[in-house]
Amino acid sequence: MSAPAFKVCMLGDFGVGKTSLVARFVRSTFAPKYLTTVGVKVDSKEMLSPQGAPIKFVVWDIAGRSALDALGANYLRGASALLLVADGTREHSLSVALNLLMQSRTALPDAVVALAVNKLDLVERWEVAPTTLAEIRRSLPVFETSALSGDGVEAAFAELATRLLP
Amino acid sequence: MNAEPMLPQTVEMYLRAYFFERTRPLLLSFGPDWTLRDVQGDASLFGIDVDAPDGGLSELKDLFLGVPVDGDHDLSFVELSGGRSAHIHLVADTDGFHLLLLDAEDARGRQRTQQQLGNEAVLAGHEKSKAISRLREIRSELERQRATLEEANALKNALIATLSHEFRTPLTSIFGYLHLLDRRGGDGAHAVQALNAIRRNATYLFTLAENLLEYGRGESGALLCAVAIDLRALAHDIEEMIRPLAEDKGLQFSVSVDVVDAAPALFDEVRVRQIAINLLSNAVRYTARGEIGAMLAWQGGRLRIEIRDTGIGISPEFQASVFKPFNRGGQSGSKGAGLGLSIVRRLIEQMHGTMTLESQPGSGTRFVIDLPPLEPVAAVADSRGGAALWVHDRDVLVVDDDPDIAQLLEALLLDLGFRVRIAADAAGAIAEARRLPPDVLLIDVEMPGLSGNAAVYQLRSQGYQGRIVTLSATSTAEAREASLRAGADHYLTKPLNVEQFVSVMQRAAQPQ
Repeated sequence: MSAPAFKVCMLGDFGVGKTSLVARFVRSTFAPKYLTTVGVKVDSKEMLSPQGAPIKFVVWDIAGRSALDALGANYLRGASALLLVADGTREHSLSVALNLLMQSRTALPDAVVALAVNKLDLVERWEVAPTTLAEIRRSLPVFETSALSGDGVEAAFAELATRLLP
Repeated sequence: MNAEPMLPQTVEMYLRAYFFERTRPLLLSFGPDWTLRDVQGDASLFGIDVDAPDGGLSELKDLFLGVPVDGDHDLSFVELSGGRSAHIHLVADTDGFHLLLLDAEDARGRQRTQQQLGNEAVLAGHEKSKAISRLREIRSELERQRATLEEANALKNALIATLSHEFRTPLTSIFGYLHLLDRRGGDGAHAVQALNAIRRNATYLFTLAENLLEYGRGESGALLCAVAIDLRALAHDIEEMIRPLAEDKGLQFSVSVDVVDAAPALFDEVRVRQIAINLLSNAVRYTARGEIGAMLAWQGGRLRIEIRDTGIGISPEFQASVFKPFNRGGQSGSKGAGLGLSIVRRLIEQMHGTMTLESQPGSGTRFVIDLPPLEPVAAVADSRGGAALWVHDRDVLVVDDDPDIAQLLEALLLDLGFRVRIAADAAGAIAEARRLPPDVLLIDVEMPGLSGNAAVYQLRSQGYQGRIVTLSATSTAEAREASLRAGADHYLTKPLNVEQFVSVMQRAAQPQ
């Protein structure tokens, strides 16, 4: 029997590292040069949940934008989970991610959600305060991630797996 | 006007050729269960091999995961696994559905170039505004440092000018009287007078030297050394030192001691002595006639020191400024380096005590000092050979990838009374701190893998409330600020200054 598949959409402002997080999660690679995503790129990966159950993620790396227009909303159709992505060195990107969550709630009221605050390797330059994340953590699972080193990436998807599987 | 214009056949044919050339459509027809029934167009252009077992069809299926195939649906600019971009339309049919793939590679290329430029401009703008803000901070920090340096330079000049005079005067006197003693031999009256003068000036030099040493320690001062002091012995010593100076000027001098509490008085004896001698030296210096009195009382768990004189007094307008270094309170022609009262105030603050000043010009001055006892001490020797404050019932998690450093820190912390746990990397530290939060986390910043600052940040964002001390080989203000911003309470640099380390860890161990 094949692993149950779930569509996960990566949502966040441009340049926060959505494509890099997918590359790290799916292929264990990292490219330092920033190349903007146009439209969407879909990848998939099977893994075991922390409880040991197989799961397949179909990961939609959606072009970064500050608002979900009709085109972007189309990409969300059928999604079971959202991985919001913010860049710790740009505080504004955190508001963008939370804004995108609110906008997507109409189309996906029941989607499982987690927040990845990326670029942990640049923590010395972070604008997002730890107390801010401590506050957000009360309502959302939050992961400090680094697509460069891989820290927190598997953990974020493992959290989604735990919440998606019965 | 008709929304769908009737076009001449030649134009329609042209449009069809134009559309096909630009979009190179691929039509894949499926049954309702995703069974491929028909292919029209060049599948290989989109990286699809319809003859292969999977051939990329599962990727297309993944695109419509969770989407019913009995209704039309379209996705723009989908990057396929071969890297090519396509607009993909799902067109529902009576018995199945079609997937229409239209090549969007050129359009994506154009959009990407435009989007990349726009995004990079915004990101660069953000970096630029951060850099400008940082430059502003650096400029204001430099201005602040320049002001501090100018003030320090002025103080240094005042110090040098004062000392060159202040040291010369008593030394001249000492040498002069030694010369007299040497020349006149055992003449009793002259010898007593000369010895008194030598004692007076040597005492002054001693006080001056002690004050300079204390001043050089800066605002933080040295560690306090709590011992049970014998107030009567201390009073006797002070009397022995000051009485000859007072009597030499014809002043009455008295010292009284009142020990009411049976519990030992735990204080830093050197500091208490320094306070009393400074105030009494000033009293002798600024009193021409009348009397000087000192009283030491240990009662109600407090040490009270009272010094009074009938000297020239301090005008109300100078009563605040006398506590500043190199300031003599406007007493014209007065002697002294102007350090004594500033050091007295600093010592009292260090010991968490209070001081009141009552004075009337021409009538005299009265200082009353109230000091709480220090905490009991243990056997950790500090640099003065005394004992530092002992830490009780506190555990610390030490995180350092270098086992030698970790062991050194462990030994120092065990000596201070901490219970010590050790983690070899940041990830292990986070796990251990989450399992059992320590009272204090002592963590190296520069570690392979996850940095100490990243671990500090993560722990703070997860709600860790304990104290955090970071240890780094980088001593720049920027590195220190980054560490504190990540959530550290204290930032120490390597090589380790043991005295500073002990002081910081003791402070970190204080209940919050």
